[in-house]
Amino acid sequence: MIKVKQLSKAFNGLQVLKNISIEIDQSEVVVLIGASGSGKSTLLRCLNFLELKDSGEIEIKGQAIDVNRTNLNKVREDMGMVFQHFNLFPHMTVLANVIEAPVHIKKKRKQEAIDQAMGILQKVGLVDKAHDYPEQLSGGQKQRVAIARALAMEPAVMLFDEPTSALDPELVGEVLETMKGLAREGMTMVIVTHEMGFAREVADRVIMLADGKIIEEGHPTEFFTHPKEERTRRFLQQVL
Amino acid sequence: MNAITSMMSIFQTHGLEFLKATVITVQLTAVSLLIAMAIGLVFAFFKVSNVFILEKLADIYVFLVRGMPLIVQLMFLYYGISSVFVLTDFTAGAIALGIHSGAYIAEIFRGAIQSIDRGQMEAARSLGMPYTLSMRRIILPQAFKRAIPALGNQFIIGLKDSSLVAYIAVTELFNRALSAQAENYMPFETYFVVGIYYLILVLIFTVIFNKIEGRLDTSKRSRRKGGKPFDQGKTVIQSV
Ligand SMILES: Nc1ncnc2c1ncn2[C@@H]1O[C@H](COP(=O)(O)OP(=O)(O)OP(=O)(O)O)[C@@H](O)[C@H]1O
Ligand SMILES: [Mg+2]
Repeated sequence: MIKVKQLSKAFNGLQVLKNISIEIDQSEVVVLIGASGSGKSTLLRCLNFLELKDSGEIEIKGQAIDVNRTNLNKVREDMGMVFQHFNLFPHMTVLANVIEAPVHIKKKRKQEAIDQAMGILQKVGLVDKAHDYPEQLSGGQKQRVAIARALAMEPAVMLFDEPTSALDPELVGEVLETMKGLAREGMTMVIVTHEMGFAREVADRVIMLADGKIIEEGHPTEFFTHPKEERTRRFLQQVL
Repeated sequence: MNAITSMMSIFQTHGLEFLKATVITVQLTAVSLLIAMAIGLVFAFFKVSNVFILEKLADIYVFLVRGMPLIVQLMFLYYGISSVFVLTDFTAGAIALGIHSGAYIAEIFRGAIQSIDRGQMEAARSLGMPYTLSMRRIILPQAFKRAIPALGNQFIIGLKDSSLVAYIAVTELFNRALSAQAENYMPFETYFVVGIYYLILVLIFTVIFNKIEGRLDTSKRSRRKGGKPFDQGKTVIQSV
């Protein structure tokens, strides 16, 4: 589904990603972990081209992406993204948030988009909030709307950048449940998170980033019980 | 004759004429501000475009307008415009005023656009929305709302500044004051009366503007609908 080869990225001289290579299969759930500043967000944002790589190759659904030739908007439609701070559109109702892109980009008829949106809101348990504004929702509800908004574009992959980090502890569970549901349905997911219990339960693979490099990866049972690298061990001790 | 009775008599002789002139002042202000809004929006886009030439162009425009007294610009533009195009004094005056206010409105729009959380643009782009669509559907509606208090202020300044076109023979309110006091030799009383006309205009305008502002306030909207804004602490984070 996604192939990354020798990806590098620097911000004004600071090398943030160094020769990253990953392959992610259809329906695979990959959890990215690592200390603050290790490049997790940057890697995720390179995957949907919110950041443009300096060098390396990114292939999505078998298509090598050439930034100058490929229509990046089309690529982004396929890569749903969920942000730490939700980034819902505050001037629109929940329903309007969800149908915005389908109506304006996919040119769906409004009624069709609404029907589809209601179906998705049903899935994330927020049908009764469809006509509320984001500010009327709790953090957990906002994040579920953000997930619904991304799903409405019927993406091939969902990217999550610390989706529960801004939430009060008691609201984390409902968002993780929604994500587990997606994983069960076979959604391909790349998730940056500090929720190790979730990673253990849902991930097919855990990848540890340090200083812009992949230092260790593996199946969660193996990864969490017998981490090979000293830095992984130290990191896990801190977060667990 | 004391001042009060002279003012009463000025009001009796010139009251209706002043009222007609007030209508012209309002028309002049309205037309010039429409022009200014259009110019302001275009140059605000230039300023946030990240295109060097456009940014410089906008900087030069703002520098020129801010760096000279309005009356100098007005005379300069009036004679400049009327030497190239055959225009009524009213139109030439409105354009000149519009070019002037446009610079300030450009700055207001630029500030408002840049004050919108970067996450809003990122969320829109991550859904596959192109830049201009994201601007139009997501950024601008929020920026407009945020710009309204400053715009209101600028509109009042524009209304008062319109008095300067009296010197290019547009028979608006201040122009009528000039000729009335030349006839009646009572400058103090005449300007006092005209000052009251301006005050009332500004007052009416302020009331209307506050109404609009109130209507666009989402938190009030949701309160009207009976919902109560949830955890506002979180929404603050989102809008920073
Ligand atoms: N747009 C940018 N401009 C300059 N530097 C950036 C930019 N984005 C990220 N960086 C830098 O790149 C490094 C990696 O950032 P990144 O956000 O990818 O880390 P992260 O692993 O997601 O960290 P966190 O856990 O804090 O979110 C950091 O040092 C950060 O300061
Ligand atoms: Mg991050």
